[in-house]
Amino acid sequence: MEQIVSIIFSADFIFSVIRLSTPILFATMAVLISDRAGVTNIAVEGTMLFAALMGVIGSAYGGNVWTGLLVAVLSGILFSGIIAFFHLKLETDIVLTGIALNLMASGLTIFILYLLTGDKGVSTGLNSKTVPNIHIPVLRSIPVLGEMLSGHSVLTYLAFVVIAIITVFLKKTRLGTYIRAAGENAEAIDTAGISVKVVRLKALLISGAIAGLGGAFMSMSYVSMFTKDMVAGRGFIALAAEAMGHGNPILSTLSALFFGAADALSNNLQLFNFPSELTRLMPYALTIIALTFYAARAKKQLKK
Amino acid sequence: MKNKIVTILLTLVMITALVSGCSKKQNNNNTDDGNDLPKVAVLLNGNLGDKSFFDSANNGATLMREELGLDVNVVEMGFDNTIWETTLYETSDKDYDIIIVGTYQMQEILQKVAPEYPEKKYIIFDSAVNYDLGGLDNVYSILFKQNEGAYLAGVLAAMVSENDTMEYSLGNKIIGVVGGMDIPVINDFIAGYIKGAVDTVEDIKVSTSYIGDFNDTAKAKDLAKAQIRLGADVVFHVAAQAGLGVIEGTADEGKYAIGVDADQALALKDTQENRAKMILTSVVKNIDQVILQAVKEDMNGTLQYGQTQSMGIKENAIDIAENEFYEAMATDDMKARIDEIREQIKSGELNVPSIFNMADGEFSELVSSVAP
Repeated sequence: MEQIVSIIFSADFIFSVIRLSTPILFATMAVLISDRAGVTNIAVEGTMLFAALMGVIGSAYGGNVWTGLLVAVLSGILFSGIIAFFHLKLETDIVLTGIALNLMASGLTIFILYLLTGDKGVSTGLNSKTVPNIHIPVLRSIPVLGEMLSGHSVLTYLAFVVIAIITVFLKKTRLGTYIRAAGENAEAIDTAGISVKVVRLKALLISGAIAGLGGAFMSMSYVSMFTKDMVAGRGFIALAAEAMGHGNPILSTLSALFFGAADALSNNLQLFNFPSELTRLMPYALTIIALTFYAARAKKQLKK
Repeated sequence: MKNKIVTILLTLVMITALVSGCSKKQNNNNTDDGNDLPKVAVLLNGNLGDKSFFDSANNGATLMREELGLDVNVVEMGFDNTIWETTLYETSDKDYDIIIVGTYQMQEILQKVAPEYPEKKYIIFDSAVNYDLGGLDNVYSILFKQNEGAYLAGVLAAMVSENDTMEYSLGNKIIGVVGGMDIPVINDFIAGYIKGAVDTVEDIKVSTSYIGDFNDTAKAKDLAKAQIRLGADVVFHVAAQAGLGVIEGTADEGKYAIGVDADQALALKDTQENRAKMILTSVVKNIDQVILQAVKEDMNGTLQYGQTQSMGIKENAIDIAENEFYEAMATDDMKARIDEIREQIKSGELNVPSIFNMADGEFSELVSSVAP
């Protein structure tokens, strides 16, 4: 028990929580911006997977990591452009479209990988690059804090920058206000002469770009290759994190970090011979418990 | 009137089916008369490109073509398990003589299909059908003694972890293993690995973690890193492609990895040499050799259908890879010890326990007895 406590309260543990949370943070923000516009993008999972592969390809053929990152973001935008086309133009159901695209992403990525490398599982045949980790000058020399917060991937810091930008963007900018209005009261902005569809399109494209960064983190930072179905449900966890945060960027960030912590905890508890079934279901069980608490509280408030 | 037309149509259809059915059979006989080489189908319930399991089976098919001159067809059925059964039925309806499938996921399906086609011959690898069900006299089952290969890996890992003169070992006497899922085949590897380690270094600690699937490369990397933080000098993975995350994690932290199914150091050598040179060895399943051998025996008429064969180090079905990296990293003492133990297993002097012979709870007791 003492050993467990000492591991949980170590700087290493917090460091791994932040690393584990990064893809979930990106995905959560991607879900959040679309959800606030009233078009919940449940294809974030597939978008990340597609971008993860495209990032690897971009960095391998473009010769440096930043091309890869750019390609990942662009392919994220492209992927959510497809969702926007189906949902906004052809007026298909967004949930069904999202499910279809998630399923498609799994096969499509394998297909593209096979065309390029002749391999159907991993991209080790491509000489892809990784996003560097950076040490922050002053922060790194602070004893414990430095160990926790310095030395992360560029993308991890970018995730927090994205959160800050989204928070301000939704509150202070014109498009941000439109996006919130499109989600809360679509008729209102329609009568104001603004196209709801255009606003939602923009929200979906931003969502795709952020999911693209999340995908790039998976294949160019977390690990240095693309492997089949590597996003492994992180996009879905983000849907829960966003719901728990009730669309509020700060609260959603906290719930995403909470999932990251649950993940890290389950990885570490296995070391002490905790049954793997138990530790593996922990993030999901905690989600249900947290959502129950949340729903109960919301109900209570409604009564008042 | 209408009924009459339907009746006529139905009769026509039935006659056509009958005739075509007959003609097909005649064709079959003709080819059998012409040459008696069997026609083989290999059905893979997954996709090629995993650099290990299915690729090895595919290589077996290539060897059959090249060495035996057989007509071999490899079908990738993908991971959608709803089409596996229909594909097996369809293949059985065609003029194949031998149909080869693999893994425990195909076991039940084969148990259902094989009795309906008594004239066909089936080979299943890495799993065994339940012959008590009856009607399975046309099925030959091949089980791998993965515990024996993993035992050797455990012996090597323990020796490396004990030896603090090695470049990347601290002599912590702690090793780790990351499994894909908590299922018998994977646990058979883990059991062998732990036994090998404990028999070599008595007070060694072995940390066991599971990913929960075979896809989550990132989680695999984190699990390996967590084990290394605890002090593990060597991490063995039994997690197909997700295990590449383990190899990456160990290389990042400057620790040793052991691969699985295929020689992973050789697979990574060209593109990621810095990782390949941290892979001590890999536990290799020679699926290609084993199915080739089975088909050869079939052609000689000596293959014993209706039985399960367990193949291990003695049958050259499983072993650890002794490539250039192993040669460079392992000390002479280690190599000698490994060779010695391999001979002991071959001669039957050393019997590696298998999870398939363990009582309930014995495996989890084994895991907790060595947990750090």
